[in-house]
Amino acid sequence: MAIPATLPSLPPSWIPPSEPASSISPFVQRRLIPAGAAYLAHIKRTLNNLTFDEHDKQLEEERKRLELLNADGLNGEDDLGVGDEEESPELLLLDAKEWKKQDHYQVLGLSHLRFKATPEQIKIAHRKKVLKHHPDKKAGASHTTNDDAFFKCIQKANEVLTNPERRRQFDSVDPVCLSLEEDDPSASDFKGQEKDTGLFFTTFAPIFEREGRFSKKSPVPMLGENDDSKESVHAFYDFWYNFDSWRSFEYLDKEVNEGSDNRDDKRYTEKKNKTERARRKKEDITRLRNLVDLTLNLDPRIKRIKQEEKEAREAKKKTKGGMSAAEQKAKAEEDKRKAEEEAQRKEEEEKVARAEAKKAKAAAANAAKKARRQQRAADADETAPS
Amino acid sequence: MAPNGLVPNGTAEAPIEVSVVPSIVGINFGNSYASIAEGIAECIANEDGERQIACAISFHGEEMYIGNQARHQLVKNSQNTITGFRNLLGKKFSEVPQAALSVSAPAIQHPSLPDTAAYKVKVLQPAPSPLKTTATNTPAASQVATPRSEPIEVERILTVSEVTTIFLGSLVQSAEDFLGKKVLGAVISAPSWFDDAQREALIKAAEDAGIHVLQLLDDAGAVAICTAAGSEEIPSDRTQLIVDLGASSLELSVLSIREGLAYSLATISDSSVGGDEIDSRLIKFFAKEFTKKTKTPLTVAPASDLLDKRAEAKLRLAVEHTKRTLSASPGAATCSVESLKDGLDYTGSINRLRFDMEVRSVYDKVYARVREVAASAGTDLYDIDEIVYIGGCACLPGLDETLAGGFTENVITPFKAGTVAGGGIGDPTTILARGCALQAQLLVGLAGETEEVRQAFIKGNGTSSVSATSRTIGLLVPQMSAEEGGLGGVWVPLILKETPLPCRRTVTVEVNISGPEDRVGFELWEVSEGVRVDHVKPEKFEDEEDEPQDEEEEELEEVKEKTISKEAFLASLSLSPSNTSKGRTKVQVQAIISGNGAVDLSIREVTKNGLGEAVTVIVGSS
Repeated sequence: MAIPATLPSLPPSWIPPSEPASSISPFVQRRLIPAGAAYLAHIKRTLNNLTFDEHDKQLEEERKRLELLNADGLNGEDDLGVGDEEESPELLLLDAKEWKKQDHYQVLGLSHLRFKATPEQIKIAHRKKVLKHHPDKKAGASHTTNDDAFFKCIQKANEVLTNPERRRQFDSVDPVCLSLEEDDPSASDFKGQEKDTGLFFTTFAPIFEREGRFSKKSPVPMLGENDDSKESVHAFYDFWYNFDSWRSFEYLDKEVNEGSDNRDDKRYTEKKNKTERARRKKEDITRLRNLVDLTLNLDPRIKRIKQEEKEAREAKKKTKGGMSAAEQKAKAEEDKRKAEEEAQRKEEEEKVARAEAKKAKAAAANAAKKARRQQRAADADETAPS
Repeated sequence: MAPNGLVPNGTAEAPIEVSVVPSIVGINFGNSYASIAEGIAECIANEDGERQIACAISFHGEEMYIGNQARHQLVKNSQNTITGFRNLLGKKFSEVPQAALSVSAPAIQHPSLPDTAAYKVKVLQPAPSPLKTTATNTPAASQVATPRSEPIEVERILTVSEVTTIFLGSLVQSAEDFLGKKVLGAVISAPSWFDDAQREALIKAAEDAGIHVLQLLDDAGAVAICTAAGSEEIPSDRTQLIVDLGASSLELSVLSIREGLAYSLATISDSSVGGDEIDSRLIKFFAKEFTKKTKTPLTVAPASDLLDKRAEAKLRLAVEHTKRTLSASPGAATCSVESLKDGLDYTGSINRLRFDMEVRSVYDKVYARVREVAASAGTDLYDIDEIVYIGGCACLPGLDETLAGGFTENVITPFKAGTVAGGGIGDPTTILARGCALQAQLLVGLAGETEEVRQAFIKGNGTSSVSATSRTIGLLVPQMSAEEGGLGGVWVPLILKETPLPCRRTVTVEVNISGPEDRVGFELWEVSEGVRVDHVKPEKFEDEEDEPQDEEEEELEEVKEKTISKEAFLASLSLSPSNTSKGRTKVQVQAIISGNGAVDLSIREVTKNGLGEAVTVIVGSS
């Protein structure tokens, strides 16, 4: 209860009246109508001898408990964690004609799930939005003719996201993920921070998680932990160097002008789209490869594995021969000399072989010449007597 | 059941769904009309699209009509049509008044049960199915007499309780068809004058119909729930007058509503005033018009001739529509009856002004009763803050206009608030059903509460009796410059009289401060309120020509004014404000009166960082 008007303060000469009455007037007995929430509250207070403050506290606790209970549900029915997202005024002003530019996930209130949203969740989200934005609900509320524009956007978004193929096309160029890709780290970002293994994992783990959705094969190996085994690290890089992606770029195609009858025009656009798709796909593959390269270069596990391998080799050698460094050197020199000798010998052999080959060739040529001469002579003999 | 556990197509049973939201309904079961509302307090229309379902059952041949269809049977088949059965529930036959003229089947003594009211109707019993014919047993070879193939006319005796069971069952069936779920429970409204036997009979009839009755709620309680939520215009502490003008009776109650807690100060019910009387006047008017137009004599209400009786029944059905049109739109409403008498059709119209003139005496009777109920509640009409209407006849704007003259200008009525039409919160036709539905919702939520709490909702339980304050308590800021004879300051009522204990009220108020040495404080006073009535000469003011003038215009006009006079000083409180720079500060005053009458008054300053230190004073208990 609030009194709107302001009150004056006490006059300075005010003295509180003396002899206050000891109590208020006697009560009257009444019988309450047992109805309503207020009666329930009253009953609870009287039965449990609660003061108003205590009862308020209980109510607050109860409210919190219920809130927790209904945290991921609407009207008590499970909505699979779709929840309710705020709709910004810009979102509501979207034009359905420009549907290619809209973020379908945001339109359906799924921007917290994006590509992770299951078909069931999309269905629920769509139903929720339709209940809220159906033009029938707004009939008479406002008189603008453009009233159902956002509803059309919702329908378009649903159309795209419920068709698996079209959803993949949209997921390929999801505006939010694209902007995340642009923020991917480059080698220069890690200059001087190579030692920071924590940073490496926190940076790259979400990136691979994101990229993994394009894989045709599953399961997709994730970046993993710092103390992963050699095999799992190798498997990871094997997978990602041979990454088989379904990502495609049809969604960004330029519209073929349907109105035009010009076949050449259409073919031209189609051809351009095709090359553009191929170019983008190639770019994407390069981008991913660079990313994996960068990861490989920075990966502290690779360094560790190399180091371990080296140590293992050395340890093996040590146990095998127990040779001293000088001996090793001598041996190496000997090997070298042997190799050189071998090479020299080979060269000489080759030289001899070449000379022989030359001789044989010359001999063959001479023989041929001889044969030709004889032939000519024979021909002359035959023609002369006639 | 079909194979594979599938339900066959077209099953009549409502599917039982396990849902978190239980399907419960509120039923307003009046003597003439009933209505149903579902969980979120929306009135449900039955399969005929009627939200106002007539309490009537009619038997015609093998058919049974329930609701508004049965009302139509009153024209030709009145002897087999049962109406007005609710008020007979739980009464012995010897208690049923016989004098009342009956347009429908009369209540008779049950032939076998002692002292039980019953109805006798003629129905056609469907023909028994013929004997099964098999290869070995042909009908001709059978020794049994050939069963009749025609339905047999039999007399059927129905007790009041059975009739109620049939009717309530059909209501719940409509609700189930609408909701698509089984109805798990219902709150049913009952008039406050229902005694225990009648309540028991109603519960029994409902249970027989398969309805789990959560509570029988007084009409006043249903209204209190519907209107409990206060708003900017409607204070949460108010005195409410409920005008229930049904088809067959008038019921008035004065409620004290204090932050949702309601109790009745006085109740009057009068079965001589009601919508039927309005109907009678209206059909008399139309009958006169008909005679004027067609030169065919027609005397109705009461009618003696059989033809006249039938014409009256036809008119009664037709004026229902006329009344609704009059309530809904300011223009003229038509009434048309085909073949009213002697094969002559009738179409006539009446406008609001003419209608109000015709039924003026009914309005005046209601007004007289309103004064009576206010007097018995010990209040003046000026003390009433809100009027709530119930019942179809209370939809008539003329009634509101007539009543409003006696109240203060700022009395809240649903007509002023604009909540009558279109299922608004104050819609008199659905308010009871909606209130019952809200109560049902509340009761279902009690599953986790203790038995004691649940018992508290059952009538006659001791927990519902409380002590209430008898005088208004409020804050007085003394002023030197205050005029003589007044209270000597600014008065802020805090706890009104008739507030159930324990109670707590908090006000947040801004106080002007002129200097840093100013103190903020109050005196707590108990006051008595009254209404001063002055008789002054009325100003020369020409009434509109159409308004009917009273024959004996009084010389003096009553001018009423609310008065407050100090009774007892209880306590005083003051504090020095910390924040004097802005010329004003905000303080929060809280008063708690505990069950034993101790008043705990505290004052604290509202600052940016929350609430300041509280200054408290306690007035001892008695």
